[in-house]
Amino acid sequence: MSSLFDTLSVIILLTSFVLVANKRIKSYIKTFRVQSAFIALAAGIMGIQSIMEEGRIDVLVVCFVIVVLKVIYIPKLLSRTYSGVEYKVEKDFILNIPILVLICCGLVVFTYFSIATIDGISQGYNDIQIVNSVSVVVIGLFFMISRKKAIGQIIGFLVLENGIFITAMFATDGMPFIVDMGIFIDMLTAVMIMGIMVYQISDKFDTINIDKLNKLKG
Amino acid sequence: MSYIIYIIIQIFVMVLTAPLVNGIIKKAKAFSQKRTGPPVFQMYYDLYKLIQKGTVVSDVSSWIYKAAPYVVFSTALAAALLVPVSTLVTPTNSIPGDFILMVSVFALGRFFMMAAGLDTGSTFGGMGSSREAMISSLAEPSILVCLFTAGLIAGSTSLDGMMTFMQGTGTSPTHPVVVLLFLALLSIIMMETARIPVDDPSTHLELTMVHEAMLLEYSGRHLALMEYGAAIKQLVFMTLLVNLLIPHDQLIGFAGVGAVVVSLLIYLLKVILLAVLIALVEINTVKLRLFSIPNLAALSFILSFLAFLQYFLMGGGNV
Repeated sequence: MSSLFDTLSVIILLTSFVLVANKRIKSYIKTFRVQSAFIALAAGIMGIQSIMEEGRIDVLVVCFVIVVLKVIYIPKLLSRTYSGVEYKVEKDFILNIPILVLICCGLVVFTYFSIATIDGISQGYNDIQIVNSVSVVVIGLFFMISRKKAIGQIIGFLVLENGIFITAMFATDGMPFIVDMGIFIDMLTAVMIMGIMVYQISDKFDTINIDKLNKLKG
Repeated sequence: MSYIIYIIIQIFVMVLTAPLVNGIIKKAKAFSQKRTGPPVFQMYYDLYKLIQKGTVVSDVSSWIYKAAPYVVFSTALAAALLVPVSTLVTPTNSIPGDFILMVSVFALGRFFMMAAGLDTGSTFGGMGSSREAMISSLAEPSILVCLFTAGLIAGSTSLDGMMTFMQGTGTSPTHPVVVLLFLALLSIIMMETARIPVDDPSTHLELTMVHEAMLLEYSGRHLALMEYGAAIKQLVFMTLLVNLLIPHDQLIGFAGVGAVVVSLLIYLLKVILLAVLIALVEINTVKLRLFSIPNLAALSFILSFLAFLQYFLMGGGNV
């Protein structure tokens, strides 16, 4: 069973690499949806396991919330926001894609070495799931700073959140229910506010490029 | 098993099966487009017809043009000898040569193919050669890292040793390293054998072609050898994938000639399934722009590098 979770954590890490290699905002949203689906799958398997062993139903509820929120609602919200933006130029990364991907590769190596030095986590061996999910956090952060458009940065934030969620899930076999729900509601509010912000920015500046925000407008 | 039997079985299986794989991929693609498509054995008829025809050689070309088809075909055959179709037929003392030799033998064939494309001085040939040079230099790191990872796991650089090790351990197919290596090898097959995300094998005379552009001047026997070489090369990579990552020989409980036959049949089944999978990938993707190919190559490299990293995360232990 742990080998299955290893594989899932690798696949989730892989989807964040695919996200970094994506060029179009539509495909960011699609990749985010795929990544959330895999996270929901991992949470579902873990939920069924915890029902079988301890009779806890909360992990399964969390899985359900992920499906509704991250696989269906937020991607829909983002695509609607994006279709409302009038000024669309697709290219929004600062370096070219192979270099971005190779930097992310370096980030994974960095995570591996930094996790290896933490005493509590690695008891003689490196936990593959923890390394992979912390790498998802770091890659989400890197994605945020490597894109110029607001929607790319929202996706980066969501991937970062996904990474934190699976790190917590793999490390603790399901966090307390109230904590998970709190994080989800925070995230939902943040994404909604950011969606409105994107509208406003696009209204005021005719672009969603973050670079242009330092120009003064009367 | 002795070397002679190994070589006979290896050549026999590889040479006879290679055109069939192309036929299956074409048939599956035609099926998805609601066409009947050419018969599965079409490539055998094509090759037979081409071999009987005369060849036209441009009078401005040099000896490279005439030598290239033979070099391409013989390097493909030489590489085919390094990748056993079944670990039951490998000689008792292992095959001389390893995956580094395989990659460099293919590189030799490719070098001659590119030189021949440039030799006739046609614009299409030169364009195809320069694109092929770019794609192959992008794909090579991925192949090497991928095979080095498999070699690290097995503790041997010989393909025969790697396959035997994988047979012995009974690796689970959902193991992270296996999944990553599978995806990496699949993308390598797509890049190396001119499949759709990189090159469209069914177009002629278009500005996007890569592999076909280099063969444009060839006719008759030379063309047959070139195409046969490409088909064998594709089968070699597919054999590498199926025998390394989906080992089956440990499932056969008995030994002897019967076991070899059963093993070869299972091997054929796996190759056919992989051919259908490749056709599915081709159906569901579009051809990339030439300048997007580095992105695909970067992802393919990442797949093999992550496999390498996961192997170390596992503590460098058994898979």
